[in-house]
Amino acid sequence: MEFRISEKISIMDKLNILADAAKYDVSCSSSGSSRNGDGKGMGNTVAAGLCHSFAADGRCISLLKILFTNECIFDCKYCMNRRSNDVPRASFTPDEVCELTMEFYRRNYIEGLFLSSGILHSPDYTMELICQTLYKLRTVYNFQGYIHVKAIPGADPMLIQKAGFLADRMSVNLELPTAESLKQLAPNKNRKNILKPMRQIQNGINANREELVLYNHSPRFCEAGQSTQMIIGATPESDYQIMAVAESLYNKFSLKRVYYSAFVNVNEDKELPALPGGPPLLREHRLYQADWLLRFYDFTVDELLTSDRPNFNMMIDPKADWAVRHLDQFPIEINRADYKLLLRIPGIGVKSARRIVRARRFANLTFDDLKKIGVVLKRALYFITCSGKMMYPTKIEENYIVRHLTYQKERLPFAADGMWYEQMSLFS
Amino acid sequence: MEEKYLICEDSIEGVFTGIYDAYALREEHAHLHIQIGEEENYRLFAQYMNIIPDAVKIRKVVETICKRLGDETYLSICRALASADSGKGEAVYKTVVNGLTQGGGRRVMENLVNPYVGQVFRLARNTSNETNHFMEFLRFKESQDGILFAKIGAKCNVIPFLMPHFSDRLPLENFIIYDDKHNLYGVHPAGKAWYIVSDMEKQVEAMFEISEKEEQYQELFTMFCQTIAIKERANLKLQQQMLPLRFREYMVEFVEK
Repeated sequence: MEFRISEKISIMDKLNILADAAKYDVSCSSSGSSRNGDGKGMGNTVAAGLCHSFAADGRCISLLKILFTNECIFDCKYCMNRRSNDVPRASFTPDEVCELTMEFYRRNYIEGLFLSSGILHSPDYTMELICQTLYKLRTVYNFQGYIHVKAIPGADPMLIQKAGFLADRMSVNLELPTAESLKQLAPNKNRKNILKPMRQIQNGINANREELVLYNHSPRFCEAGQSTQMIIGATPESDYQIMAVAESLYNKFSLKRVYYSAFVNVNEDKELPALPGGPPLLREHRLYQADWLLRFYDFTVDELLTSDRPNFNMMIDPKADWAVRHLDQFPIEINRADYKLLLRIPGIGVKSARRIVRARRFANLTFDDLKKIGVVLKRALYFITCSGKMMYPTKIEENYIVRHLTYQKERLPFAADGMWYEQMSLFS
Repeated sequence: MEEKYLICEDSIEGVFTGIYDAYALREEHAHLHIQIGEEENYRLFAQYMNIIPDAVKIRKVVETICKRLGDETYLSICRALASADSGKGEAVYKTVVNGLTQGGGRRVMENLVNPYVGQVFRLARNTSNETNHFMEFLRFKESQDGILFAKIGAKCNVIPFLMPHFSDRLPLENFIIYDDKHNLYGVHPAGKAWYIVSDMEKQVEAMFEISEKEEQYQELFTMFCQTIAIKERANLKLQQQMLPLRFREYMVEFVEK
């Protein structure tokens, strides 16, 4: 078999090419796995994950995020590494990946390895190389830190199974929310091939859970679960469609995370939209906010969006938006409402809701106490009472509250053009 | 009634001895106060007592806290006492009183409405957040003999909380973590238990010569951090919010060469 792995490229250039090629993959979390070292190798994992640095775009650097190779036989329109692009190509050897991981990890630069890859020769061939690398890293180098690995769609299920026993987390990218979009932009991929390994990993995790009940020391399969990502803004799907897909992934495929990636136009392909305002970062932000509501706040997509209102309000976040459209349920009495109801109040998060439930056993809470507990009163004050009283006399009326929630010169964080969004008024 | 101030040294040992002595006085706790370090403005109608740490008293206080308030509370108290706040001694003392005699018990740390408990909670959170930050942002460099060395500048005394994490993570490495604000060294010899050295005369850092590979890996990682950023999404404000400037002087990828 002919190799195009060129020996002349220095490790510096290889890392440069293959990190650059991997940067559009969003997932970088190192969470979900909690494991102590066994004293014979190097590494452990922390349940909440650790972010070792932050890049100039504000995204965390937790894992050594690289492609094994950026050679690819596929020609996906949105991807920098597609076959038809003339970009410098490089491939690591398994030993190079292992050494980089170990030496970076030792110096506390990273929390582990994120290994993805372009398709070299065939999905099986690529997956085999990935498995070899992970096997070496775990058994020869005795690495016990975090590993996130991509399952290559179309690869032999045996290879995916093998990788799952070596990695903490696996992911298969859904790429685009609907099958039609996928067909249009990624002609070599199809929905079935993507969902198949996803299902396999889910079944693997479930089977492993049962094994662990019987045999405490049986090997762990994807301890930190699986994740996926969708590109936002390259195709015309509405937020409602995207969130509905995310919800069914959580419910039917038991995914740990769905990532949303604002589309960055790297290829200027005619099939792709031009985005003069830069990537749709605010939209991505709203989708993540809604994603949190699904996972931690017990919301469903149908509560947040409907087919008549298929997109999120860019002015206020999805939770505040839900609250002002359901004012009949407010104000909520802090000292009496149950935990789930507390979670629905804008300005109260999971942590402060838990603290409220515990602290009110000792005494009736006042607004001052809430502030100390960590409630964001400037958002919450329109929706709550303490011992029957509101903080200030306010109207419980949609326009009034929206105006006040957006008035605080609150700059929405992600306007690429340096502008910020503000509620329009008669005088502007 | 006259107020009494127990002056303790700034350490877990000092405050725990102070708590023991305060109980031994058998007076109302509302009139007893624990203070860390010397008083600058002495009050006229108050009595001041100097407390000398005592191993037996410390052990008794630790046992009582663990048994009656629980290990979680004990951990919170230790974290609070590692913080840099001067009111920590008093807050911990009154929290213990609340737990032991005012019905707090094992749930005392949930009573956030109590000002002292609230303060212990916040101080413990400070220490625990900073510990977490250094778990992430601390950087080791390798010497010619293969020893790893990291320098940090912490507000709270985080070394005792960092060492278990790194000892578990790097069991086969010789490493040293140096806190230059507290002048403490956490030392871990390969395959053995870690320990803390204070007031070391000789500067370990000055004797330290980095290995040849070290420079190469520093360059590789710096380049990696620059490459991984997506320029279309540049957001330096967010970066600074997530990674405050005070950490950067110790981090290879931000140090100007």
